[in-house]
Amino acid sequence: MNLKPESKVLIQGFCEFISGTHVAQMKAYGTNLIAGVNPGCGGQELHGLPVFDLVEEVIEQFGAIDTTIICVDPYDVLDAALEAIASHIRQIIIITAGVPPLDMVQLLRKAEACETLVVGPNSPGIIVPGKILLGTQPSEFYIPGAVGIVSRSSTLTYEIAYELTKAGLGQSISVSIGSDAIVGSSFLQWLQILDEDETTQAIVLVGQPGGGSEEAAARYIAEAIDKPVIAYIAGKHAPPGKSWRETGTLATFIGRDPNFGTAQSKLAALKEAQVPVAERPSQIPELLRKEIN
Amino acid sequence: MDLLEYQVKEWFGKIGIPVLPSQRIDHPTDLKRLKIRFPIVLKSQVHGAERAKAGGVRFAETTIDAIAAAQNIFSLPIWGELPEVVLAESQYDANQEFYLAVVLDTAVCRPVLLGCKEADIDWESAGEKMHYVVVEQEFSPFYARRLALKMGLQGTLMQSVSSVVEKMYELFVQKDLDLVEINPLAVSATSQVMALNGKVRVNERAIKRHPDLAETAAKIISRHTSTEINGILGDWDGVEMHGKIGILGNGTGSVMATLDLVANAGGKPGVCLNLRHAFLTDTTPTTFRDRLATGLKILEADKSIQVILINFMGSIPQTEEVVEIIARVVQQDNNELKSQVVHSNGSKNRQEPNFSPLVVRLAGSEFDAARKYLATLKTPSNALLVVENLDEAVAAAVRLAKATANKK
Repeated sequence: MNLKPESKVLIQGFCEFISGTHVAQMKAYGTNLIAGVNPGCGGQELHGLPVFDLVEEVIEQFGAIDTTIICVDPYDVLDAALEAIASHIRQIIIITAGVPPLDMVQLLRKAEACETLVVGPNSPGIIVPGKILLGTQPSEFYIPGAVGIVSRSSTLTYEIAYELTKAGLGQSISVSIGSDAIVGSSFLQWLQILDEDETTQAIVLVGQPGGGSEEAAARYIAEAIDKPVIAYIAGKHAPPGKSWRETGTLATFIGRDPNFGTAQSKLAALKEAQVPVAERPSQIPELLRKEIN
Repeated sequence: MDLLEYQVKEWFGKIGIPVLPSQRIDHPTDLKRLKIRFPIVLKSQVHGAERAKAGGVRFAETTIDAIAAAQNIFSLPIWGELPEVVLAESQYDANQEFYLAVVLDTAVCRPVLLGCKEADIDWESAGEKMHYVVVEQEFSPFYARRLALKMGLQGTLMQSVSSVVEKMYELFVQKDLDLVEINPLAVSATSQVMALNGKVRVNERAIKRHPDLAETAAKIISRHTSTEINGILGDWDGVEMHGKIGILGNGTGSVMATLDLVANAGGKPGVCLNLRHAFLTDTTPTTFRDRLATGLKILEADKSIQVILINFMGSIPQTEEVVEIIARVVQQDNNELKSQVVHSNGSKNRQEPNFSPLVVRLAGSEFDAARKYLATLKTPSNALLVVENLDEAVAAAVRLAKATANKK
């Protein structure tokens, strides 16, 4: 994975989830934004970036691209990602929300075969405070430090970062994997990355109802993660059910618990793995301090 | 979104899954022009489960019996829903009944083929009787054959069941389904297979790229209330709880965290809405600002909501317009109080706002100007409180809810 400030970055598509402000923010942060791809707008300039019709045109002119940030409309995400993979881009961050799950299944089959990292969809991306911003995470809430954040949320992630920054606990990396049922990189992958990352001394895991990724993460933390982890799960008091864009409500198939996907199930899994869970975002710094000392 | 049986059978028929001869009945008199042979079964087309127990399934051997049965069914509400369509279908003698399904499994992130030699099985205890095959790579018929073999089928029956599963998968991908189920798949003495009943669930996000479905979904939306829509369409960018504090936010996790904070502080969250994405019920594209206006309307119309807590963090589109909407809502009162009708109990408490107080939490430098502007507004006391700290905002909302409760 390449999160170096010099890595070359492309933006595909300019839908409602990315604005001129976001692009300017990335540039101000030092991200090496090379160009934009927006079919039909080749030759124009947008937000200070040269725009092309095809990804391969960018490669032709500027050489290999390391990361693409995809902000096309939901039904065009699969195509945009396949185009990126065909041009040997190995890191794909999908900002767009509302991608149909079957499209993600197709994308993941291809991405796994080509060893390409996919983050999202519905993710505001990755920020390495002080070094690089790949996405729309608001940089003002972050300061460099030693706490890694991995989250399924968007806005809630910034809330957590804000609390840490206010408490003087800077962040090493913050990544949102998106809250969709079918996502690219998982909690497990990022926990492993953060565990191996030299700058990270502690990890905060942010979850919400839907699916079983927090439960899988809890088991993984108990088995394989050495660094201290604090968790925060939103939605404890939300009524359970088919809300919050959860698909795959097949809890009872293949011997799965009917409690599957509820905040309660996640809290129980984390308790069993002995991961401290915060009651509210503002409690995370004090829990972290306890674990680090 | 769940389809009704007759729609499911239409799709099955088109894709080549064997279904019985059937006819759609919109009115009992349609049975005079019945094109299938007696005896028939008449089935109520509703979304509720266990309609047979409720009397929604009747047998008929003659036209007169059929018309009477149909009249009965059309006026029988099942789980509160009256059928608009009744399905007339030939009867069938099954030797065996199987269960088959194709479903998107979110733990393995792949479609899964399911099969069981018993239909109407109890999920909790299915265990080893339910066989499954994960479709790892691009689908090919051998996945379906694997499932049929796991089910212990052989020979022609294995081939015909396998062929049905292939067709189910084709439909699954073609129509962006979360689930397609045949329950039961009848097997005759001569190994002929027939889908007697089926279920199809379309993924909500994909509905807009299927014009035939977008119409059905739009019809459902226009006819039902929000709780009913939640049941049929299965998704809602918000939560319906019965409480006094309505919550609006710009992110799912953020809204849920706010909900939790309110509950933890002793408050009762009411309707909570996430404005970051378009609502499922939006049939045309909307902007964040539109959704805020809609959200505020919904909360104001809800009689149990006494305080509205808005939590915006980071950045939102159309910041200035959003602030204007908030300003308008809290200032509305000054003009409308004078023409306010006196309360029916005779109280003339004109200082009380006729809408819920707003606690607005704005965090991030993009809101600096907004915070300053909102602070300059002249509003009735307690009508608007602008805070930067989330815990403070929650405490204020809970306090206000308790205070208004004492007044009313």
